[in-house]
Amino acid sequence: MAAATAAPVRHRIPRAAGVMPQGALRLLRVELRRNAMPWILPLIAALFWFDSYRPSTATAPLYAIRTFWNLGQGHTIIDFGPFVAGVAAWMGSRDGRRGLADLVTTTARPRWAGQLGTWAATAIWAVVAYLIFVGVMFAAYAHQGVGGSPPWWSVAVGATAVAAFTAFGFAVGVYWPSRFAAPVAAFGGFLAMSQSSQAGFRDPSGWALILPTNSNGSFVGNAQADSGIFYHWLPDLQIARIIFLAGIALLALGLTGLPARAGGKRLRIAAAVLVVAGVASAGTAIGLTASSRVGAHGVVISALHDAASDKPIAYTPVCGHVAGIGVCVAPAYQRWLPDVNAALAPVLSEVAGLPGGPVRATQIAAADAGGHGGPPPVVSLGGQPPVTRLLLGNLNMPGPCGFCAGPVVLSEFNGQIRLNFVQAFIGVNQFTDHGSPVQLAVQAVLLQEAGVPFAAQPKLITEVRDGPGASPGPAAGPVYAAARRFAALSASARQRWLAAHLAAVRAGGLALKDLP
Amino acid sequence: MTTAGLDRPAPGSVPPPAPAAARPGRVAAAGWRLTRLFLTSRLVPIAVVLLAALGAVLWSSLHWHWNIAGGAAARNFIAVTIESGAAAVITVATYGPFGESERVAGRWLPWLRLGTAVLLTATAFGALAAGAAAGSLPGGDLALLRNIGGLAGIGLLAAILVGGSFAWTGPMAYLLITEGAFAHRSTTPWVWPTRLPHDRGGAICAGLVLAVGLVLFTVRGPRESGREPGPAN
Repeated sequence: MAAATAAPVRHRIPRAAGVMPQGALRLLRVELRRNAMPWILPLIAALFWFDSYRPSTATAPLYAIRTFWNLGQGHTIIDFGPFVAGVAAWMGSRDGRRGLADLVTTTARPRWAGQLGTWAATAIWAVVAYLIFVGVMFAAYAHQGVGGSPPWWSVAVGATAVAAFTAFGFAVGVYWPSRFAAPVAAFGGFLAMSQSSQAGFRDPSGWALILPTNSNGSFVGNAQADSGIFYHWLPDLQIARIIFLAGIALLALGLTGLPARAGGKRLRIAAAVLVVAGVASAGTAIGLTASSRVGAHGVVISALHDAASDKPIAYTPVCGHVAGIGVCVAPAYQRWLPDVNAALAPVLSEVAGLPGGPVRATQIAAADAGGHGGPPPVVSLGGQPPVTRLLLGNLNMPGPCGFCAGPVVLSEFNGQIRLNFVQAFIGVNQFTDHGSPVQLAVQAVLLQEAGVPFAAQPKLITEVRDGPGASPGPAAGPVYAAARRFAALSASARQRWLAAHLAAVRAGGLALKDLP
Repeated sequence: MTTAGLDRPAPGSVPPPAPAAARPGRVAAAGWRLTRLFLTSRLVPIAVVLLAALGAVLWSSLHWHWNIAGGAAARNFIAVTIESGAAAVITVATYGPFGESERVAGRWLPWLRLGTAVLLTATAFGALAAGAAAGSLPGGDLALLRNIGGLAGIGLLAAILVGGSFAWTGPMAYLLITEGAFAHRSTTPWVWPTRLPHDRGGAICAGLVLAVGLVLFTVRGPRESGREPGPAN
């Protein structure tokens, strides 16, 4: 007795006062170890390589184009989402499938808290794997020297989408504890994604932009040419998508806490709040997206827009010299500088010394090129002294081209650059190939001197122009007769005539008979 | 004391019942009971309901034109997705909850497995063919038969590899490969949904996969494991 009274008083060990209780952390650790998600990751990795990475390597090495398929059209999400939804459904249905629902309901921890632990572990595995896979893909891109900067916001959207898929699948599993829950969640998710992709192809604006597989706005149009090279990737739409997907995740998780067996009244009220918050988030995001407009650099949502995102990316151009004229491109296009120089060399040599001839050539962003009712011209001439502006973002550059009939060959690229340059120099509309007969005759002669024979010109013009109107006929008729006459002159005579009459030719004020 | 004469019944004891083979009615009843229990243990009734539901989804998609006009991928997308979903249902129904005890005691197990797989594949075809009556299914019934058969074969092979519960990953993975093949205009016969309905190569590949899947599944059965988190369980 005396020993008992003499024993020191033992105080109760205080509970951990951290953000997460010790028990929750332990539960999470156990769930991470006993999770089915790691088993499915090798299969996802193989499909990710096959469906997301492999096709992208057949495209031009620019981030905006490389990531068009896998992030713009959401194939990284399509590769991940259905599988993680299925596995999450498997994990969510675990207690019910094994007939343990009553047993776990009577434990000290509310059932919903335990389920959230299971979901958190599942989501952590899935999201971390997604980030690792995308990270490895970007590392491979960097190793291949892909130009521009990666669309990090799209990666964040993908990670949120993966988390939302796990929440959706988990809710399916909780409500339907059957072994069929996994395929139903997986194929249901896939069907939703396929419909989302189809809607994305159809709707270039409005609420449908919220769908993470919709490439319109961010990856299509001017933004495709400029983002990550001349301008930052606009985060507006991606932030709205994250809000939308987070809302779906909250909604699904909240639904799992509503049944009476999930926990006490307080917890169920918290679950109901989560459901309302999820619906509000998703609805707000859809509303924000519906009010968006497609700007020069991507989708702009006024409520989310930061003016700092509009600032151009500062860079030092990479330059070369052709016919005494400097030709400069953005660093992302450095690999194509020799091709651009080779394409411009013959036409720049022809116009060297002529009044109004360019003093340099430089690459510009699509947003800085005027369209005059059609798409912006690939080559334009402007400023004082005149500068040739190259809109290379709207061109298929030489080399691999994943969305073309085949790789872009150098002759195709040269032909387009030379034709567009000559058209810009003498004032022919590049969109429609519309010009006065004299302009067309001079164009024919300049092209022939640049290595495109008369006979090949109608085909080249047909291939290059994307405007309305009938295709040009064979290289015959009064225009080509005048062009042949003009081409028969000596180079110096042509040069002298052009120097004297270039302004009149550009104004379209001469007739064919005025051509010597 | 010897064992001589032990095979003789003791005087006054009840004679043993006649062998079961002598009573065909009881044999049929036992066979039916065995089949019913096997189908119940595989959740086949739920699988049939799900297959009917997939047929209804196909009917709705064709009736209300869910598909958007576009290339081959757009035209075939929903149909191939639903066919893959049906194959996934068939494969998940291969999971048996009894494991070793069933394997050891079940003399008719291989035939029950084969019968169930064939029955569910036929049911899937019937349900989807009925759903396809609402409109024009790309490729028609011939392509449907080929696709369902081949996809079921993939699912059965997946069940052998990873177990019945996770065998749906086989048709799902194949669906993603098919989608990529449509998008990139690949026409290998091993991705038979991309081929024309009368194409011999696609039919041979699909038939081969189904045959191999059925034979291996009948002989070996789905993979089973006692460990919980793995795909085999």
